[in-house]
Amino acid sequence: MSYQQNNYYTSRRQQNWSRNQNTTRYVSAIKLGPVAHTVLIALMITVLGLIYLTQATRATGYDYESQRINSQIAELNEEKADLQIENARLTALETIKNSAVAREMTAPASTAFVE
Amino acid sequence: MNLELQKGSRSRILAAVILIIVAIFVARLFYLQVIRHDYYVELAASEQQSRFTIPASRGLIYAKSGENTVPLAMNQTVYTVFADPQTVTEKEEITTALRDIAGGNIRKDFEKLLDVPDSRYQILATKLTRVQADKLKEKNFSGIGFQENSQRVYPEGNLAGQVLGFVNAEGVGSYGIEGYLNEDLEGQDGLLQAVTDVGNVPLTIGNNNVRIPKQDGKNVVLTIDRNVQSKVEEALKAAADRTGATNVSGVVIDPKTGKVLAMANLPSYSPGEYFKVSNVGVFNNNVISGPYEPGSTIKAFTMAAGIDTNAIRASDRFNNTDSIRVQDRVISNATKGITGNITFETAMQWSLNTGFVTIAQRLGDGEQITREARETMYEYFAERFRLGQPTGIELSSEAAGSIVAPSQPTGNEVRYSNMSFGQGMEATMLQVAAGFGALVNGGSFYKPTIIDGFITENGFEQIEEADPVEKGLVKPSTSNEIRRVLTEARRAGFPGVDRSGYNIGGKTGTSQVIVDGEYSSTQTTASYIGYGGADTPEYVIMVQVSGKDKVFQGARDALPIFTDISNWMIDYLKIQPKG
Repeated sequence: MSYQQNNYYTSRRQQNWSRNQNTTRYVSAIKLGPVAHTVLIALMITVLGLIYLTQATRATGYDYESQRINSQIAELNEEKADLQIENARLTALETIKNSAVAREMTAPASTAFVE
Repeated sequence: MNLELQKGSRSRILAAVILIIVAIFVARLFYLQVIRHDYYVELAASEQQSRFTIPASRGLIYAKSGENTVPLAMNQTVYTVFADPQTVTEKEEITTALRDIAGGNIRKDFEKLLDVPDSRYQILATKLTRVQADKLKEKNFSGIGFQENSQRVYPEGNLAGQVLGFVNAEGVGSYGIEGYLNEDLEGQDGLLQAVTDVGNVPLTIGNNNVRIPKQDGKNVVLTIDRNVQSKVEEALKAAADRTGATNVSGVVIDPKTGKVLAMANLPSYSPGEYFKVSNVGVFNNNVISGPYEPGSTIKAFTMAAGIDTNAIRASDRFNNTDSIRVQDRVISNATKGITGNITFETAMQWSLNTGFVTIAQRLGDGEQITREARETMYEYFAERFRLGQPTGIELSSEAAGSIVAPSQPTGNEVRYSNMSFGQGMEATMLQVAAGFGALVNGGSFYKPTIIDGFITENGFEQIEEADPVEKGLVKPSTSNEIRRVLTEARRAGFPGVDRSGYNIGGKTGTSQVIVDGEYSSTQTTASYIGYGGADTPEYVIMVQVSGKDKVFQGARDALPIFTDISNWMIDYLKIQPKG
């Protein structure tokens, strides 16, 4: 009878896994009943709701800020338009013609071109 | 003990009742949430959401001032002050504040409006400026509100009133460029649809918010030069004072581009105060909407047709007897005594009708204005120089005028003999000026335009100068010859009126006016059309003087207006003299 030896290859990685494997199983001493579970879930939902509300309120806060800035822009644009109109009125030909400086001006007797 | 529900037991009945109630709830909820879904969604949206219009700003209108642009039409925010008489408490304080701050903007007897019973809205003052409104707002009166409105303002006052038109109380542009470009100028309002809070402040929460941005109107830059326009208006005013004319009009165009540099009429109005005008006829721009018989100014076109078709030369002669018979009519000259064998050039200088009827005859067989002659005249007048048809200028209410074709029963020899000196046909001043521009610029017709470009976010964007609509209306040699004839006619007829060293030429016109179906002998319209420049024409000016039951003459009443504007234009355009 002949003896036959079988060699099985085991990778080093597999060996390492085995090395770190827990050999003891720990079981928590705290037991949660169905009521505790329900309360926890309710609390989680409440926290999520509060987070949502905080974000929504923050967005609304930005709306008010945006509205305030828009009003400010509109007001400044209005002010700018008023100033532009005033500028246009002050530089209108009729205003210039009636100005004290224009009234002192005289028409040239003749004009000539420089070569 | 048997816990199972027994048939007919109270528990079983209760279960059945609960089941029925639940079923009713389910059915009702199904009805509300599924069947009436759209209705309630809409109802909720209408309560939670608001729609805001984002008003577009009306585009501004600018004129040129040399190389710069200056605003002619702008927008200003003004305020209407209103009261809710039922909530007003400080009547005396409000009355005093309005008198002190609003001044002339308050409504007559506005104090009484504060006591109108059963009213919740009374307008106390209108068109307050922002500063005035801010001062009133500071007082914080209860029952007083402010409403913002946009108002069109015209900082140059009356300048170019009929070119601009106006914006009416409904915000719609009427007449002029305001009317013609109303859609482009008014832009498109934007829309904001959003959930709002109690203060009607739009919030970003919600899934159905809509924001369509506004599109402001286009800012238009006109070809009108403010300084030329002002000079023309000044010259027209002086002419009206000098001649006693009730209607005076003028137009200046650049013959090299067709751009209108000035266009004015008297009487005029201020576009910002259009509501003060009692005669709506003043809104019409006579230069483009008042076709008339241009009279002898058309003689330049008749001579051009004759020279261009080789029917005549300016130096050719004809026998002038101060009258000429055409069928059963006798046509006479206004100026008598230049009789004998004279040239057509002399006929132009003295504006002799007989000479131009002769040219019309020579376009045919030399004896009569044949159908062939009439066809040629029609081709030159209507098809080449585009008289009697709208020019397509970007202003509202442009009129066509009329040139009767030879194919029509009234397009006969008598009519065409009259047309040779500008009667029996109707054209607007702008049509005549545009045609004349082509006649003196070498034969290229440019469509008259009043839009130079647009002001965008990138600044002024000028419209590329258009190519002529048609080249070769007349041969360059014809154009040169007409310029020479008109210049010589002006020098000989009116020596010393022009600055020396320039080519200034033109033609007078004195046309009879049809009153009650017949040519009146007590009412005439005076015109003058001419050009100026050194070697090439730089400007074309046409003026017209008229008035009810008044006789005006082209040389006496219209020519001085041209001369005044022309001499000023030479300085303004800095045109160097010849040589």
